[in-house]
Amino acid sequence: MVDLREIRERARELLEKGRVGCVIGYRRDGADMTVTPAFVTRPEDAGTLAWDPGCVHNLAVYLDGKGPVAIVAKGCDSRAIVVLLQEKYIKREDVHILGVSCEGAGVLDRAKLRRRLGGKTPRKADFGDGDDFLITTDDDVIAIPAADVLAERCLECRTAFPAVHDDVFGDRVERTFRDPFHSVEAFESSSDEQRWTFWKRHMDRCIRCHACRSVCPMCFCEECVVDSINFAVTAETTAEHKAGRVKWIEKSPTASENFGYHLVRALHLAGRCVDCGECERVCPLDIPIRLLNRKLEKEALEAFGYEAGLDPDVAPLFSSFRDDDPGDFIS
Amino acid sequence: MEKVLDRRHLGDWVERLGSYRVYAPVADGDLWHYEVVGDPGEMRLDHPNTVHSPKGMVFPQREVLFEFEHQKGASPVIDQVLPDPQPSVVFGVRPCDARALTLTDKVFADDFEDPYYRARRNRAAWVGLSCNAPPSPACFCSSVGGSPHSEDGLDILMTELADGYFVTTLTNRGEEIVGSAISLFEDPDREAERELERVHAESRRRMERTIDDLEATPARLREAFESTFWDDESRACIQCGICTYLCPACHCFDINDEVSSSSPLRGRRVRTWDSCQFADFTMHSSGHNPRPDKASRMRQRICHKFLYFVERHHVCQCTGCGRCVSECPVGVDILAVVNRVAGHAR
Repeated sequence: MVDLREIRERARELLEKGRVGCVIGYRRDGADMTVTPAFVTRPEDAGTLAWDPGCVHNLAVYLDGKGPVAIVAKGCDSRAIVVLLQEKYIKREDVHILGVSCEGAGVLDRAKLRRRLGGKTPRKADFGDGDDFLITTDDDVIAIPAADVLAERCLECRTAFPAVHDDVFGDRVERTFRDPFHSVEAFESSSDEQRWTFWKRHMDRCIRCHACRSVCPMCFCEECVVDSINFAVTAETTAEHKAGRVKWIEKSPTASENFGYHLVRALHLAGRCVDCGECERVCPLDIPIRLLNRKLEKEALEAFGYEAGLDPDVAPLFSSFRDDDPGDFIS
Repeated sequence: MEKVLDRRHLGDWVERLGSYRVYAPVADGDLWHYEVVGDPGEMRLDHPNTVHSPKGMVFPQREVLFEFEHQKGASPVIDQVLPDPQPSVVFGVRPCDARALTLTDKVFADDFEDPYYRARRNRAAWVGLSCNAPPSPACFCSSVGGSPHSEDGLDILMTELADGYFVTTLTNRGEEIVGSAISLFEDPDREAERELERVHAESRRRMERTIDDLEATPARLREAFESTFWDDESRACIQCGICTYLCPACHCFDINDEVSSSSPLRGRRVRTWDSCQFADFTMHSSGHNPRPDKASRMRQRICHKFLYFVERHHVCQCTGCGRCVSECPVGVDILAVVNRVAGHAR
């Protein structure tokens, strides 16, 4: 069992000794089991840190190269940190990783839980003994099998244990609910026409809130093709330079522009996505964004034997070349 | 006028509105959207909050303003594109969303009349549905001057009773819509009136979330303008556009010319939603950005609703629908922020 007291104690110690300036973790907030990211800077506040099945966020999105900070990281979150280290976006000495094992479970899917509870409001969620989540409602405490309400990304998780860590809480528990590429393989069996209909429907409803981009730890570019100013403008930028800018994607949320946005986003994550699934979780229109990412990770694995986020000392897929890299797909 | 409609006659009423396009909330997986009603018999009015408020029906995310073409040696030709929608009736509108229409009216149809907004607004009738139970655990309409059975912005208010609906018409258009199927309705008896009062009183008691002191909020926000409070509150914000794009009252927009590379002198000028949470929202062409960080951008969102709009229009620009709270990826809660701002004067 992960002992929350140990996480809090370690956080307090790190702050007290001045090893880090901030501990990025989770706290319970509000009356309906909401968990929010917490930024603890005073040792005496370490007791507000939480760890429960509502800790869905990948906090690596808050790593900005300024440090040193400590960060609570699940298996998938730690893989995101590894990619940031591989890409030299952050330095290892600037981040103290408080790794947390999901111990054979993972985090909750709020929609699945809502369906399961009918009209009842969940007030609190806890890890139970073994494979259950304990959900407190106004009436009672209900034990629900984790597999019934786990986030899809957790059902397809390959290792629910931190890839790198400075401290680790909880035991490594091996378990597999599904193959990591289960959903993308199921989708691959559909016809071109079915796929087009499927994606067209989803692209039609995208509102381009860009939450999938904003929540992604890998989307750290200072300039992005979807912004109306797609390169940094400074006082020195000439009028000519500004006039010559290329507008790759319009702000209009039409299917063609939305396809452009989502394909650019997905391709920029090829060989980098660690399947934390945050993009899909935050989408207010329930667009199955993970499918695009999983497809590209499957390609990276099949063509180059590459998996993102496992080893900080391995060169990123796109900045390495090996003589035996396959080339048969180039025509 | 006040009428009672038997539950079994809801579909018949919709059927008699043949000359209108009828919208109602429809479930699609876990999400609810306003869509054109196919089979009136299948219409249900037991929806939670829809993903979008009906705002997009009067202020769509993308509006073509005009088309243009410029040929060398000639004057540019500009064709205004005014929307001409089929008259519609929107069923099941939540009172918070209807109140929001009265707020976008202030922006687009008061001092200055926006012809695009007006053309759409004039063609739609709004049939509200009282919230006998809160449609979202995050909502708080009574804290911001509304109520679960507010009539603001509506043509008709329906309240569900045990066997049917209590129907109150509020405008001439509302009377026409009921009048076109008047034989389906009955006059309410004393019992129905008593039930309506009871249901409304009960719905008001069910609102759980409250703002501490709405009257004092603008002054508190003004005093906290320079406070580090905003740095702390915005720390978790990832700067996406969910809160503003799903808000029934947010109305900021961007205008762009859309052309293709093959015909760069022919295209259309379009207006699209924009969000004050985006980093480029107030970026000047000089490169200067008066709202350079997420703290100043969050302050803008909250102050626009609870301070600037109040100063200008004497009403709070939040109707408490709760969408920005329940859909925020990181749990930013506008009501909690407003409640916490007290005492942060710098």
